[in-house]
Amino acid sequence: MDEEYDVIVLGTGLKECILSGLLSVDGLKVLHMDRNDYYGGASTSLNLTQLWKRFRGDDTPSENLGSSREYNVDMIPKFMMANGALVRVLIHTDVTKYLNFKAVDGSFVYNKGKIYKVPATDVEALKSPLMGLFEKRRARKFFIYVQDYETNDPKSHEGLDLNQVTARQLISKYGLEDDTVDFIGHALALHRDDSYLDEPAKDFVDRVKIYAESLARFQGGSPYIYPLYGLGELPQAFARLSAVYGGTYMLNKPECKVEFDDNGKAIGVTSEGETAKCKKVVCDPSYLSDKVQKVGKVARAICIMSHPIPDTNDSHSAQVILPQKQLGRKSDMYLFCCSYAHNVAAKGKYIAFVTTEAETDQPEVELKPGIDLLGPVDEIFYDIYDRFEPCNDHEADGCFISTSYDATTHFETTVKDVVELYSKITGKVLDLSVDLSAASAATEE
Amino acid sequence: MPSRRRTLLKVIILGDSGVGKTSLMNQYVNKKFSNQYKATIGADFLTKEVQFEDRLFTLQIWDTAGQERFQSLGVAFYRGADCCVLVYDVNSMKSFDNLNNWREEFLIQASPSDPENFPFVVIGNKIDIDGGNSRVVSEKKARAWCASKGNIPYFETSAKEGLNVEEAFQCIAKNALKSGEEEELYLPDTIDVGNSSQPRATGCEC
Repeated sequence: MDEEYDVIVLGTGLKECILSGLLSVDGLKVLHMDRNDYYGGASTSLNLTQLWKRFRGDDTPSENLGSSREYNVDMIPKFMMANGALVRVLIHTDVTKYLNFKAVDGSFVYNKGKIYKVPATDVEALKSPLMGLFEKRRARKFFIYVQDYETNDPKSHEGLDLNQVTARQLISKYGLEDDTVDFIGHALALHRDDSYLDEPAKDFVDRVKIYAESLARFQGGSPYIYPLYGLGELPQAFARLSAVYGGTYMLNKPECKVEFDDNGKAIGVTSEGETAKCKKVVCDPSYLSDKVQKVGKVARAICIMSHPIPDTNDSHSAQVILPQKQLGRKSDMYLFCCSYAHNVAAKGKYIAFVTTEAETDQPEVELKPGIDLLGPVDEIFYDIYDRFEPCNDHEADGCFISTSYDATTHFETTVKDVVELYSKITGKVLDLSVDLSAASAATEE
Repeated sequence: MPSRRRTLLKVIILGDSGVGKTSLMNQYVNKKFSNQYKATIGADFLTKEVQFEDRLFTLQIWDTAGQERFQSLGVAFYRGADCCVLVYDVNSMKSFDNLNNWREEFLIQASPSDPENFPFVVIGNKIDIDGGNSRVVSEKKARAWCASKGNIPYFETSAKEGLNVEEAFQCIAKNALKSGEEEELYLPDTIDVGNSSQPRATGCEC
């Protein structure tokens, strides 16, 4: 330390590591610090010992679970959409060379007390009991419209301006039933509540398109992919990118304190009696808690099991969506499952998560509908964490604070936050659109 | 012509900042040396095709990318290594003393299934400096340490002059291959996300 940097980044969460990587590639001098002795911050993956220490207060996990290091338990469980924004970032930065991915086996939806597979093919769709026959025909017309819709081709709009027409109006045009709307809105467009219905339909249509394109990308049983060894690999991969381009890394730096000048502008960071100077500070909410405001809470349960989630066709990795209406809640609830097949647990073990936007202070009671679907559980940990948004003026104080991770099932909002922060920090726009088609072109060769 | 099966072997290089880890890699793979010292910038991993007996395999040599300077290597860096190279500077007693820390850190982070027999190779670098007059770690002392840690193979090199670098990496490759063969890793069928193949520094010697 005691040096001068363009940017000091605090916290090695996924967002911060992506930003570190991008800024270092841009030629900025970056110092990246974390109070923990591991990468990932709130979005890390913990081994068994770390998990026990954090949730049980001791460091002696049950011996029958296998060795500690065989476990990589995600603290923010999400799957990556195969055609989604995070994949674009990975390709854009060539960080894929540090990682290995597997397709997620299946995506399921909870409806009237039962779990159904979200159809991955036309054949599956025809057989699926989620819709009656006539409803399937109406839904098919809707899907064709979505598939053919191109922003820049007015002919494909069929007279509808999706920036004006609401999702509800679009759905009404195709005469879809409530159950179908629920299914499409929550299991395909992955909305967490129903507020999207009264907003312009563009976002809704785009989301359904991403889902379909992600399904087609690897033709697995779901639109998702997931890294071997868990999501904690992602921040480490981006951190390495930053280091390769000159970023300096300091883990295990307690009490990183941001220093301000008389005008309230950030000028550096002090830790262990040493101060590094900088022009800008980037951090997660926990490092500048007086510049963020609480915007919600996420409730979650982390479970270790010896079997897959029942009724998921023995999927080694799966997502189950429980739409809010099915549970009488304001937000959807999600089940995630991954296993030794992804090298995140010992042989024969599965890690399951139940997660939702918290509506009470009692996660045990609130998460029960999801936990009941899991069957027998070897170990279970409950947690509620607050979500924060920045409320500072970054132009005045030079601080760029990320938003906490939400309960969504994927990383689209995560990357959106990163892209916005990147623009604020550098004044440049991050263009991720070209790379994927270039990658697709490479695939076709 | 006997058929050739390709194998990918991961080798990681550990040691204090400034002992010449990146230079060793570059000398071996690219036959290049740079006097310009900056705490490693731009080094990532390099690949080299190596033939051993009738088999062709790819050595993937991972640099620390400078993250070792403040003890900030992540567990992902260590995972799946087939051989671990420990480098020190013969002109720096501190870098030699820290070999023990690096070896122990590796065993903790990588958690090899057979820690007693995991293959290490130790390299004492920079034997060229001042014609050897500023040397502070004797060869005898280094060899004794290597012997005490399970007879770790030992080499003295000059990345600058290219002395003994090839020999050291031949040994590394041999040990990595032996380790890679014995380890029956569970390799799930992964998918190619970016279809971005890492351009290889082809240095195949047949």
